[in-house]
Amino acid sequence: MANNANKHQNAEDAVLQWVTFRLDGETYGINVMQVQEVLRYSEIAPVPGAPSYVLGIINLRGNVVTVIDTRHRFALPAGEVTDNTRIVIIETDNHVIGMLVDSVAEVVYLRESEIETAPNVGNEESAKFIQGVCHKNDELLILIELNKLLTNEEWSDLEDI
Amino acid sequence: MSSGILQDYLNELLSEPPVPAHTGRAQKPLQAAAEKPLQAAPDTPPIVESKTQLLDDNERRDQLQQLLYSARATVAQHAEPETAPKVVAPSVKTATAVAPSVKSDVPETNDLIADTASDTALTEHQSALDEALQWHENGRPVWAQEPFEVLLFTVSGLTLAVPLITLGQIQPLTDELTPLFGQADWFMGLQPTPSGKVRTINTAKFVMPERYDPSFVDTAQYVVSINGVPWGLAVDKVEQPMRLAPDDVKWRSSRSKRAWLAGTVKEHMCALLDIPMMGKLLTDADRNSRK
Repeated sequence: MANNANKHQNAEDAVLQWVTFRLDGETYGINVMQVQEVLRYSEIAPVPGAPSYVLGIINLRGNVVTVIDTRHRFALPAGEVTDNTRIVIIETDNHVIGMLVDSVAEVVYLRESEIETAPNVGNEESAKFIQGVCHKNDELLILIELNKLLTNEEWSDLEDI
Repeated sequence: MSSGILQDYLNELLSEPPVPAHTGRAQKPLQAAAEKPLQAAPDTPPIVESKTQLLDDNERRDQLQQLLYSARATVAQHAEPETAPKVVAPSVKTATAVAPSVKSDVPETNDLIADTASDTALTEHQSALDEALQWHENGRPVWAQEPFEVLLFTVSGLTLAVPLITLGQIQPLTDELTPLFGQADWFMGLQPTPSGKVRTINTAKFVMPERYDPSFVDTAQYVVSINGVPWGLAVDKVEQPMRLAPDDVKWRSSRSKRAWLAGTVKEHMCALLDIPMMGKLLTDADRNSRK
């Protein structure tokens, strides 16, 4: 009976994989299932009239992918492009976009029970992007909810680019 | 001047709040004294009296500190061994302390028992927190009906006092303090501690935003956590605990604005925080806690 209870608990406490990346000295995580690939930084073609959080577009094997400035989206100070800079191609709500990040670190395994709710104080809309936090490998991971990264209106704007 | 009269005079001086001569706050009393020509003696007597007062003041302070350190040692005996200074509030009911034993028909499902005990403990804990928010008709909070212990700490040069009974732990602020984007400007970040992640607030910005000094982020050394909520106050320096009588405090009659301020302690030139109210305000401000 105790074994059944443990099995039931384990089934509920799913293990998820998260790709971690760095931005402005902090470590963030995104669900690996939403990551298509990670690219080295390549020239991003700016698009006139695009929203301020859009850096431009890249050509990914014949497909045009919009790249967003993740630092800008998270209201973090601007950074410089280095050898470690990466573009993470993600898929969310049937849309594909690229996220510019300082570097990509690793893939970590987290139990759902390890994820804690983060506070949400203040009036900034960007706070809703944080799904939770988790202490892993002696550092705090900030887990990002990619489905909330852009609103429906913003997706429409991106499609018009 | 006879020794008795001098002693009375010094006692009277000592009962006044200490005002450093080099600050702007000292200018008013000095000006007022200068307006009385008969008392304005520019020669030696005032200097002698001032030295005497200083000596007596120091003696008195030493005695007070001895008492306070002994009180601190008493408190520390109950604290768990930690690398950081840690003060455990006396007679505070923690979640584990109030958890009653729960009888279950299914003894092997320990998790269910633990959940039930945990829920009961949380409910009792919440009711204790709610009670701490109450103020009596005499204009004082529940926790200040009798003499109470407070801990003094400094934040950007301002001395703040918090009732010990409402405090959790004191932990050092480390490089592990992790800021979160999109939060209010008074939110410093999450500080991992052995007892969980403390949501650390920038106390200087929270308490006196109009006089905020950005260097506080670099000078803050500790986070003082609030009992019962996952929030804590970043502080520069932790001073000694001391005992206050309710009459030592000038309690605020209206608390519609700055509800977290319980009153001021003139003798120690410090503000007394209503920590239970501050905890409630912080919890209410967290939109994720409302879900």
